[in-house]
Amino acid sequence: MSDHGTIALIEPACTSCMVCARECPAWCITIDSHTEPIPDLPPGARERTRNVLDRFEIDWSLCMYCGICVEECPFDALAWEPQHTAAAPSAVLLRHGMDELTGPSPA
Amino acid sequence: MTAAAVAADTWREAVGAALAEGFTFFEWLGVVDEVGRADVLRVVVVLRHLERPAEIRRLSTEVPRDGGSLDSLRDLVAGAAWHEREAAEMFGLTFAGGDARRLLLASEFEGAPLRKDAVLGARTALAWPGAKEPGESAASPAARGAQAPSRRRMVPPGVPDPAVWGDRDPEAGPASPDEVAESAVGGRVRRRLGAGRRG
Repeated sequence: MSDHGTIALIEPACTSCMVCARECPAWCITIDSHTEPIPDLPPGARERTRNVLDRFEIDWSLCMYCGICVEECPFDALAWEPQHTAAAPSAVLLRHGMDELTGPSPA
Repeated sequence: MTAAAVAADTWREAVGAALAEGFTFFEWLGVVDEVGRADVLRVVVVLRHLERPAEIRRLSTEVPRDGGSLDSLRDLVAGAAWHEREAAEMFGLTFAGGDARRLLLASEFEGAPLRKDAVLGARTALAWPGAKEPGESAASPAARGAQAPSRRRMVPPGVPDPAVWGDRDPEAGPASPDEVAESAVGGRVRRRLGAGRRG
């Protein structure tokens, strides 16, 4: 909790469960996902699907850095990062997608 | 830990008695809006004993939601004034003999924002990002309202059902506070999102 800079997405851990987007008091997390059949199941196994994350976006112009999403994530797919969110010349550029959020320092 | 119930007109005396017993550390004073259960605001105060830290004295009383008033504790505990100012502006009750100034809210702000029937009106016009289910996207048919009308959808807390608040039938008159509070708890409910909610 001491390194309260920005929030990073650990994409492989995310299951698109929507918990963070629903708990966010600022409504700043947008998630799009779709379901895909799991490939390479043993023959005769029931067909199963998994969620695939298409878009994970945090709007830093709305985020109040409360950390509720980090606390609530059941899969530890969100984490505090020590460096701060970079400034941007317009509010639209503060909408960071998966590329920015999974950024420099892997957890 | 339960709170000892105290009648509103003996509030000051009860707190004074606890202070005299040595529970002199004023920890906090708070309010609970009991709308839906009873038409009251519950005021709670927690006092501690500095020599016996394990002991705690919790007192609670009830005042009516409309025009409720309670004797101020600030002449007993000076620090209670801040808690009372916050409680008064957030829940819409008055403390007789207390500091009537606001603590946090702007002077032009109207309403009591921590009452359970206080709604986040501006959000009724916004699309809630949490309305989507796992595996859905903004473009998927389910998110555009094609699923069965009986399907339980997630709705955000603080935003009332448009049928109760907002798009309410004018002939039905304004909804009662407990109806508004109940419709704004959020969670998974059997409710169609109103057409006006999607842009």
